[in-house]
Amino acid sequence: MAGFDPQFVMAAFDPQFLWNGLVVGSIIAVAALGLTLIFGILNFINIAYGDYMAVGAYFAFAANTQYDLPIVVAALIGMVVMAVGALVVDKLVFERFRSRSAIVLLVVSIGVAFVLRNLIRIVWGTGSRRFSGPIEAAPQFFGIRVLPDQVAIVVISVAILGGTYLLLRRTRIGIAMRAASDDTDLARIRGIDTERLVTYVWLVGGAIAGIAGILLGLDAQIRPNMGFTALIPIFAAVILGGIGDPIGAVAGGYAIGITQELSVVVIPTEYKPAIGLLLLIIGLLSKPEGIFGEATR
Amino acid sequence: MAVGDLALLVATIMGVYSLLAIGLNMHWGDTGLLNFAHAAFFAIGAYTSAILTTPPETGLLANRTVGASYPIFVGLLAGATLAAAAGVLIAVTSVRLEGDYLAMVTLSFAELIRLVIHNEGWLTSGAQSLKGIERPLEGSVPIRYDLFYFLLVLGVVAGSYLLFRRLAGSPFGRVLHAVREDEEVPLALGKDTTWFKLKSFGLGAAIAGLAGGLWAHYVYAITPNMFLPSLTFTIWAAVIIGGAGSYLGAIVGTAFIVGIRQVTRFVPSDVPFASDLPYIRLVVIGVLLIAVLYYRPYGLLGDEERMLAGSEEGAD
Repeated sequence: MAGFDPQFVMAAFDPQFLWNGLVVGSIIAVAALGLTLIFGILNFINIAYGDYMAVGAYFAFAANTQYDLPIVVAALIGMVVMAVGALVVDKLVFERFRSRSAIVLLVVSIGVAFVLRNLIRIVWGTGSRRFSGPIEAAPQFFGIRVLPDQVAIVVISVAILGGTYLLLRRTRIGIAMRAASDDTDLARIRGIDTERLVTYVWLVGGAIAGIAGILLGLDAQIRPNMGFTALIPIFAAVILGGIGDPIGAVAGGYAIGITQELSVVVIPTEYKPAIGLLLLIIGLLSKPEGIFGEATR
Repeated sequence: MAVGDLALLVATIMGVYSLLAIGLNMHWGDTGLLNFAHAAFFAIGAYTSAILTTPPETGLLANRTVGASYPIFVGLLAGATLAAAAGVLIAVTSVRLEGDYLAMVTLSFAELIRLVIHNEGWLTSGAQSLKGIERPLEGSVPIRYDLFYFLLVLGVVAGSYLLFRRLAGSPFGRVLHAVREDEEVPLALGKDTTWFKLKSFGLGAAIAGLAGGLWAHYVYAITPNMFLPSLTFTIWAAVIIGGAGSYLGAIVGTAFIVGIRQVTRFVPSDVPFASDLPYIRLVVIGVLLIAVLYYRPYGLLGDEERMLAGSEEGAD
């Protein structure tokens, strides 16, 4: 075995990677959906979005382990807290900068991210946490290990995506959101109260960020910087899908999750995170309007 | 450690970070480019200089097989050059993007570079620290070594400050300012604005690379975790608080931010909330950043006209 260097060994294809990709893709898809809704209406890159996810996860964690509530109830609490939380952050901070440029808002969101992430560290410490729950055996189906948590992630994601789809298609608020995302000025001329719409967008986007964080915490661990480190593939999904395009973002999310997990067949495992980075770079450089979308600016 | 030693340590960190802020001020303050890859330029400078001046590891657990023992000034020069090259390379691909998109692309490039540093242990020692980095002239200076190093950094900061301020006031700098305000105008006057943006990116990255080298030779050991995106964000906060467009502001803003971050070193560990202080001070930086952008958008020493140009008030 002279010259054998384990670093450069790639894995052979395994259907397990597809399942793992579906799980990771589900999380990215949900997170990207919330981000693209906010991005579409507010028109700025919110760096603090990852920290919204973390806040949702930590509140659910507190309800789950510190108050012994069942995980489902805890998850609902996390979502509600983050929905209201996103609105509160807007009222306290972002609303005051509404007339300023997208670049100023981007920098402001960095400040918000600093505050949220370090408040989490002060309240819950820096260590990693887990939701309480038995560590269950993973049953095998056709040679694929399927953890109960993973099934929950995939099912909940589909429910969230379906619910949001109905909201955007069937309700007046949802239709107004899509109109404003396409063309804010036109929507305003047609009599849509865009400031009120912003309120709904933060509520819906915040709730989705919260549940995305909870799913992420269920799949891995709950850490103060969990959302921030997950941000790049999420942004990549939003960009690939076309900014403000919910269906595109979801498709982009699944595509990135599956590509990332399957990539270990062709590149060393250590470089798995490069997939999200490269897709974001390539996506922005080649087609900033998204693969599915049309130019939004 | 005595208070004097601590003060020198903090002042040296302020100096190195000031160089980063000077580079970022060329990008954002002078040219209006949203560079979020600054931590990567700092890392390239640090690792290049460290690898070129530190022989490979030996022994059973040796990881890094590449290294050399060139003089330190060669390492510093190579680090700055390589960082500049990386800056130009990133800029060539992405500088045409609109502001906030450029931010995302540069942030991604920076993380990609950090991923490579983290994974290629044969070159960088990977996640373990690259240790035993030599300090210049150690043992042969007539004064206390940490005082010497501080004076060295101070000299580099002063030189860079004068150079970059001069550049900003030169015809070259005036084109950069025009690009920042409205790219169409210099373009219509026949200036190759892309070329100017590349030069701005390269120069700012070079000074960040030099800062990286000075950092590596000061701290003995470097790890990939020293070059996280939060470092880039911290320098951004410093430049914005100090006042974008002003090099003196960049230095003052850095001193201010580093001061907040390092002040806890002077606080005894038995005060209430002492263990939370590292996070409390980051909350303070976040709040300050937002407050400055709201109440004083041009920062402590920034150029008020710079902020007004391009906005509706400035158009009157």
